[in-house]
Amino acid sequence: MSKAEFAIIGTGEVPCGIYPDRSEFEIAYRVAKLAIADAGIDKNEIGAVLNAAHIMGSEFNTEAFFGRLPEAIGAKNCKIVATTVSGGGSSFSIRKTAEGILHSGETDYVLVIHAQRFSQFAANEQINFFAHAGSDLEWEVPYGMTYNALAAMMTQGYMAYTGTTVEQVASVCVACRKWANLQPNAMFRDKPLTVDDVLKSRMVAYPLTAMMCNVLADGGCAYIMTTAEKAKKVCSRPVYVLGEASDFSHRSIVNLKTKNIDKMYEFYAPVAQKAYERAGLGPKDMDIFEVYGAYPITSLMFLDSLGIVEPGRSGALVESGETSPGGRYPTSTNGEAMSFGHTGTGVGFSVFVEGIRQLQGKAGKAQVDGARFLIEDCGGGAFMDAHFTVLGNEIPNPTL
Amino acid sequence: MITNMNIREILKQKLGCKDEDFDRPMPVPAPWSMPFWDAARKRKLVLKKCTCCGHIDHPPYLYCTSCSEEECEWIEASGKATLYAYAVNVYGVPFAFMEDLPYVLALVDLPEGPRMISNIVGCDPKDLKNGMELKVVFDDVSPEITLPKWKPVSK
Repeated sequence: MSKAEFAIIGTGEVPCGIYPDRSEFEIAYRVAKLAIADAGIDKNEIGAVLNAAHIMGSEFNTEAFFGRLPEAIGAKNCKIVATTVSGGGSSFSIRKTAEGILHSGETDYVLVIHAQRFSQFAANEQINFFAHAGSDLEWEVPYGMTYNALAAMMTQGYMAYTGTTVEQVASVCVACRKWANLQPNAMFRDKPLTVDDVLKSRMVAYPLTAMMCNVLADGGCAYIMTTAEKAKKVCSRPVYVLGEASDFSHRSIVNLKTKNIDKMYEFYAPVAQKAYERAGLGPKDMDIFEVYGAYPITSLMFLDSLGIVEPGRSGALVESGETSPGGRYPTSTNGEAMSFGHTGTGVGFSVFVEGIRQLQGKAGKAQVDGARFLIEDCGGGAFMDAHFTVLGNEIPNPTL
Repeated sequence: MITNMNIREILKQKLGCKDEDFDRPMPVPAPWSMPFWDAARKRKLVLKKCTCCGHIDHPPYLYCTSCSEEECEWIEASGKATLYAYAVNVYGVPFAFMEDLPYVLALVDLPEGPRMISNIVGCDPKDLKNGMELKVVFDDVSPEITLPKWKPVSK
């Protein structure tokens, strides 16, 4: 049974895309104000402001460390300012930090912010950064390793050992795009995409074409977290954290916990299962699957682990349209990094915030009717960790 | 025909790259990895074996990834491997590698146990097959550094 100690009561988000003139500070300031207004609380009730660091490093990190954000939004009673970052798993580690602060009783309201701007860096700076980010400087970078190549190797191996086709891999991008087409803040909201478009786009790192690689962008979002007890009093539709679970595997992909990359579910599925159990729910109870991808292969590996499809068959599931709008398994309903836009540590934040919107009935055209429960996940780009969370707008079996 | 020299010249003109942007990133050996690089320079592939639990690690770090102890010995590898999975980089790589495009990155499984990230050379990427047999070759990328790479065993 779920203890449901914490809840989210409001979110804020700005459009994702290429906005070089919009600083990280401006993003953070705007999303924070939107989240406070959405939650309907007094800013002076916020006792902690948490921020995820910009992964390429910038003046904004310093500003955040030294407290620019609580000052800017006028959170006069803010007591705690902290930055939490752990790569692609940042949205989870920052939420655990927020939960710890709430659990300590220091405050009843925590504001969590994510803001990133990649367009301030030249293309070659981004390429060099993402070649080196996550890659081992002594053992991988000298071989010309890149982030795309890591995802490409994982894709090649997964396809070879599961029989997943390149069309099925491409269909993940198309499903994401269909959701993004319903999202006003998505980078590719106006552009449709077909499997053919994906396969005909420029080859980047075989078997990945350009359209299978995410696009770095500028964006951000925020949310207000409180205790479940408080949430029931101040919010007409809080979203409860019903169950969470995490696991860590390795530093280098060569030391992956499960040697077979077609069997990543051996690593992920027990974690997802634990999150379900802690929520007192199962895969059949989920209305939405807010899956973190960044590359199609990551989406497929996570889908393999959620208890909705036979592992290795996720490509066929996506290809069938069942994860797209109108399908039985709505997945990554904001379009995810591939079509919403990749904001560094923000990929998990944007997927999480979209999950909250869905459960609050605020997802606009992308709204999944009657959604009550969902499972959300995130993890690092080098496949080193995995975090699953079950969220709900009601607490199941509260009397058990 | 585009030659390597004019790729570099084009990038310098169009993107304002400097010559040092084309410098290859070199491994900077750590005290505990130096025996690996010393051996590679002598065209030997060696692996770090934990003397406490017997686990063979690659890359060789200060610690054993199985038992976290530090005591180790070095063993010479067979120089054989199989291709587990691969990628072919064709676009969007750091400048230092643009003149090498296309090039193959691979996860290579050694019979001694470790999996290694390396390049596959001496092979048309179209001929790569998961599970194919490989043998080690040595690429002297600088006077100090030799990178072990892998090449398909010709049948």
